[in-house]
Amino acid sequence: MQRRIVLDLDLCCGCRSCEAACRAAFKGEARIRHGDISGVAYLPLACKHCKQPLCLAACPVEAITKDEVNGLVVRSAFTCIGCRSCAFACSFGVIDAPLIRHVSQKCNLCSDREQGPRCVAACSSGALQWLSDEDIGRHEIGMRLVSKDQFFRRRS
Amino acid sequence: MNTIDPKTTTTKPVLCPFCSYGCEFGVVFDDFGIKGVEYLKDGCSGGRLCPRGSAAGLYLDHPRRLCSPSRGGRAVEWTKITAELKKALASPETVAVTFDRNITLEEYQSIAGFCQGAGIKQFASSYLEPETCLSDFLRSDFSEKEMESAQTIVILGDPFNQAPVSSKSIINWRLGSRDRRLYVIDSIRTHTAAYAHEFLKVRVGTEPLLLLALAQRELSGVDIAKATGIPGARISELAESFRRAGKGLIIACLPFAHTYDPVLLTEGLRVLSDYSGKAVVPYVEFAGYKGKMSFAGILDAIKKKGIKYLINFGELFPFYYPQLLPALKNVDVFATSTLKYDGCTALPAALNIEKSGTIMTTFGPRKLTGSVKPASGAKTVSEMLSMCEAKSEKLKVAETQEPRVDIDSRIGRILDMSIKPKKDHFRLIGEKIAFYYLNLLDKEMLKMNPADGAMLTLRQGDMVAVESKRGSHGLRVTLTSDVDPGVVAVPAESPEVRGLFDYVIEEDNRAISFVPTEVKICREE
Repeated sequence: MQRRIVLDLDLCCGCRSCEAACRAAFKGEARIRHGDISGVAYLPLACKHCKQPLCLAACPVEAITKDEVNGLVVRSAFTCIGCRSCAFACSFGVIDAPLIRHVSQKCNLCSDREQGPRCVAACSSGALQWLSDEDIGRHEIGMRLVSKDQFFRRRS
Repeated sequence: MNTIDPKTTTTKPVLCPFCSYGCEFGVVFDDFGIKGVEYLKDGCSGGRLCPRGSAAGLYLDHPRRLCSPSRGGRAVEWTKITAELKKALASPETVAVTFDRNITLEEYQSIAGFCQGAGIKQFASSYLEPETCLSDFLRSDFSEKEMESAQTIVILGDPFNQAPVSSKSIINWRLGSRDRRLYVIDSIRTHTAAYAHEFLKVRVGTEPLLLLALAQRELSGVDIAKATGIPGARISELAESFRRAGKGLIIACLPFAHTYDPVLLTEGLRVLSDYSGKAVVPYVEFAGYKGKMSFAGILDAIKKKGIKYLINFGELFPFYYPQLLPALKNVDVFATSTLKYDGCTALPAALNIEKSGTIMTTFGPRKLTGSVKPASGAKTVSEMLSMCEAKSEKLKVAETQEPRVDIDSRIGRILDMSIKPKKDHFRLIGEKIAFYYLNLLDKEMLKMNPADGAMLTLRQGDMVAVESKRGSHGLRVTLTSDVDPGVVAVPAESPEVRGLFDYVIEEDNRAISFVPTEVKICREE
């Protein structure tokens, strides 16, 4: 069963624990980033592991591959030449343009950790969740937005 | 797929040492040493950790970790240090002993006993963070259930950054029922403020005045609306609604150099708590202990040239207070530290993770397991005391001086200090951003209002030199309307940034307060 990182937009407190967990585990690589929405909201941006990944299509050396079984889109640090094509191709802007150790920074959903991604485990407010497709169907997602402005929030 | 092989790694559960919220995490070891941090689902915080906790692995195994005594950056033998300390202790009237954080209750008691046994009268806390004032509110019986039954919560400051793990319970409480009311008081618009039903954005440093006004305290000769920026009629309405509201809490956090008078702020919290019948819950990094005298008393004794040696147990002092270094120039300072420092004789100390004992948390006293071995060369307080062969007496709690607070003169001082800064100058305030802890993960950013940015022709990400009368430091600008025009905010985490702030010594209780400071800002080429 495929699992994904889901963000409960109302619960994110903007503490960047997710980014800290990622950087601490991957020696400075911020594989989860933050988007600043017009100065009123901060959103963690994690790789969506798209069904048809543009980063994979754009990679000139086939360093990015998709595992058809678990849906994971992974980058090989050995093959990557640091051309940043993936960063420019990603329509969600989750791959950071600056390189670390001459390769791009690409989330692999902490495949070295059986319990799931570290960003989800660390999330101090419980906003990031690690859900299966079945759970996602039952979840209210995509209708809320964490914001510093009351106007942007649905739940009150 | 690469997976961690459980045969080659071991995970030891520890209590997080970076704040007093009492989270737990696992330290993962492999054959080569510390591998990182593991999030324990069955720990008291359910595996959730703040950026500081996540960075613990980096800190424990940091290349700057101090592993042997050093002086001016050069390694010194322990035997030489011990001989020097023994020589100093032969004339106890010339020795002052101080302590800050990263010491357990048992260690504090042994330091106090050591001072008593050695005849050292100069014994004070060098933990000069403003949050020490809030430690008196810590209780051993607080639990999150108290929050669930609350109808109104007033938050002073930004708990989402002071203790990010607390955010889950606060947000769930806030979104749990429409009858609840959340008020946030701060001079910066924070994420915590975004969740408030009403955000009371006060002028910089005037939080104590608002708290006193909300408790209907008579403030003669003070135009409270002008001073705080909150309309007087609204303050009266809120004061009445706080008093009438059923169960509630006042959550307080106090970052470095965020307000002018932490002592008056504490008094304001106490008065508001009595008036509204709502308990104060402090979220602090470390629940400080009290010495025999205030730290200003030690500075006075140094000025009189009575003190020649200063021994500090802990990890912050004097590294984190560079503005105090000129006052210590004639003193031989021996300070325990966890990271390398060149300014004095630094002695390698074990972290709270690496020792057993008791520490006070928001939810009462907790036991440290001491399951991680101290870093190579690092020693605990008791090991250091026994090396000095100091005569120690059993002492439960050191004598403390109760501070006298002169409310009227302190209010007058806040009003004097909060006047508009000079032309081309800004008011620099400190804030708590958990992510910038010790610069382990990133460098601090300077928050500036876009109007000020336009005036100085600065854009997002530009480098600026921030210059105060205490020093100068380069910072990267982030433009945001979270701060008012004329105000700039910085996470006060690194010694370089903390050194920019000015300090005042209170007349009445001789407490040292680090205050919002006037600075000049110019583009760094």
